[in-house]
Amino acid sequence: MTEPFLVGAVAYSPNVVPIWEGMRDYFAETSTPIDFVLYSHYGRQVDALISGALDLAWNTNLAWVRSVAQTDGACRALASRDTDLTFTSVFVARAGTGFSSLESLRGRRLALGSRDSAQAAILPVHYLREAGLGDRDVHLTRIDSDVGKHGDTGRSELDALRAVLDDRADAAAIGINTWQAIGRGELLPGAFESFWTSPDYSHCTFTAMPSLSTEKSDPWVANLLAMDWENPAHRPIMEMEGLQAWVPPNLEGYASLTAAVREQGLTPRW
Amino acid sequence: MVIGGPVAQRATSASSAYGVVLDLIEGLGRVPKGGTTTVDLPGAGHDRGLELVGAWCASNGHEIVSVDGPSVTVRHGRSPDPFAGLDPRQRPGFRVWVYTNFDCNLACDYCCVRSSPKAERRAIGADRLHQIAREAAEADVHELILTGGEPFLLNDIDELANSCTAHLPTTLLTNGMLFRGGRLERLRRMDASRLTLQVSVDSATADIHDSHRGTGSWAKAIAGIRVAHEEGFRVKVAATLPADHKHELEPFHEFLDTLGIARDDQVIRALAHRGVAESGIELTVESLIPEVTITADGVYWHPVAADHADQFVTRDIFPLADAIAEVTRRFVAHRRAADQVAGWFPCA
Repeated sequence: MTEPFLVGAVAYSPNVVPIWEGMRDYFAETSTPIDFVLYSHYGRQVDALISGALDLAWNTNLAWVRSVAQTDGACRALASRDTDLTFTSVFVARAGTGFSSLESLRGRRLALGSRDSAQAAILPVHYLREAGLGDRDVHLTRIDSDVGKHGDTGRSELDALRAVLDDRADAAAIGINTWQAIGRGELLPGAFESFWTSPDYSHCTFTAMPSLSTEKSDPWVANLLAMDWENPAHRPIMEMEGLQAWVPPNLEGYASLTAAVREQGLTPRW
Repeated sequence: MVIGGPVAQRATSASSAYGVVLDLIEGLGRVPKGGTTTVDLPGAGHDRGLELVGAWCASNGHEIVSVDGPSVTVRHGRSPDPFAGLDPRQRPGFRVWVYTNFDCNLACDYCCVRSSPKAERRAIGADRLHQIAREAAEADVHELILTGGEPFLLNDIDELANSCTAHLPTTLLTNGMLFRGGRLERLRRMDASRLTLQVSVDSATADIHDSHRGTGSWAKAIAGIRVAHEEGFRVKVAATLPADHKHELEPFHEFLDTLGIARDDQVIRALAHRGVAESGIELTVESLIPEVTITADGVYWHPVAADHADQFVTRDIFPLADAIAEVTRRFVAHRRAADQVAGWFPCA
């Protein structure tokens, strides 16, 4: 019998369990069965991947960038969700504030999510700097509600939005998934409006170490990409994981985060 | 405080109606699909907050479970479709049963509604049946089924049947023993193109049938089937058998074949422990997919218990669509309760 690949994932929500049980059940019917291990945070998961305890890690974009940094680029990205290739950060303010660009934030208060959230903290600061706004130009309110999970829970982004509602901040930087979750401003009319959206960047990806040969990983990737949104047995898993198709990763989409991590002096671990 | 679901969580309150939605997103993120979270609506913006929660749930595929004063409880995801896996013909209201009367020329020892020559008639009456038929057609009912008692004891059974077939295909349940004289004439006045007769026959020979239904009843029923065929009616046969009579099924089917009863029209049903039956399977509203059933006394869950208070639904027959909706509502509630029990006791 084929030894199952061991896949790591971070337990950011109770729904992670049914997602990965569903994935395990799906792969049990393929030539490349899997089992999974859940970690409490991405630092622990990346350590496990590099140590050889895992065959694959379902990594956030920051966990991927840190894996690359710690392996001198030897690790490999195998596949992402379709939604991971078009991830964006959205800057929002109370409706009617008249903000029109990042420049509008000069001298104002911006609420950021957890410091290890690429979408709600690291990349927003990167975009501010690209726009010529330094640390003294915008008052940053950091809300570290879910450090370790790279913003997966969305909690720190909701807290950032609360800060805007409660007038503790003038604007908030959040991920497109949270913006979609609150209805892009349409479900809460008069509450929020977006005034700047970042270019697309890549988010999560399955990461493997070089010890997992392409001879072994290619069939697994082929089986992953064969999951079909139109198949009623596959669809619930894909809905829970937030995708309609598994796709090859887009490595160019990590360039902005790689640059941001370097600029901001973030450590390669944890 | 917390209502139902495998896991429930109470989120912290926020200061505004908008904040309730943020509380809700956070709360639902902490419970698995199927679980619930409860959030507090702001005192000043209660209605606005509830409106936003409703809109957000509708847009994101979640479901409000209850509103209890200042709190609203929301399920992560929607409840499983209670009709999933059901044949569309099993949906409540696909067909509607009507007890035309409860008196009978027989006194079967397993009758689920205690019919007999001594039973009170409790006739549905022409006016009500006509209204039932008309409203059933408007309520997307596909078939009416008339039963009793013995419907052919009614002197206006031809008019009753015709008032139904004028609107919907109809099946009339009978013991088939009375097709002679004036009753045969009434049969002939029915619309054979829209009416199916379902005759009760319990065995391929007279002994078992007669032991339950009375001496000579089998021969008359078989004769009645032949008369019905001669008059151009489609005839179904329904047998009521205890579980230990299963070994007799194939010879029974072969016998019915000789009578010209199509295999799909040979209905075998298990004896129910209802009415005057001393044994049989236990049927409760929790275990029984409903078949909307109308009697002179009101609406019942299923024809097998149309004389039992535990399956009484409502005295209000009309509007019929409301009666069907009430049965459906109760069915959905039972299904969801069963799902919740399964969630609470996953190891049982």
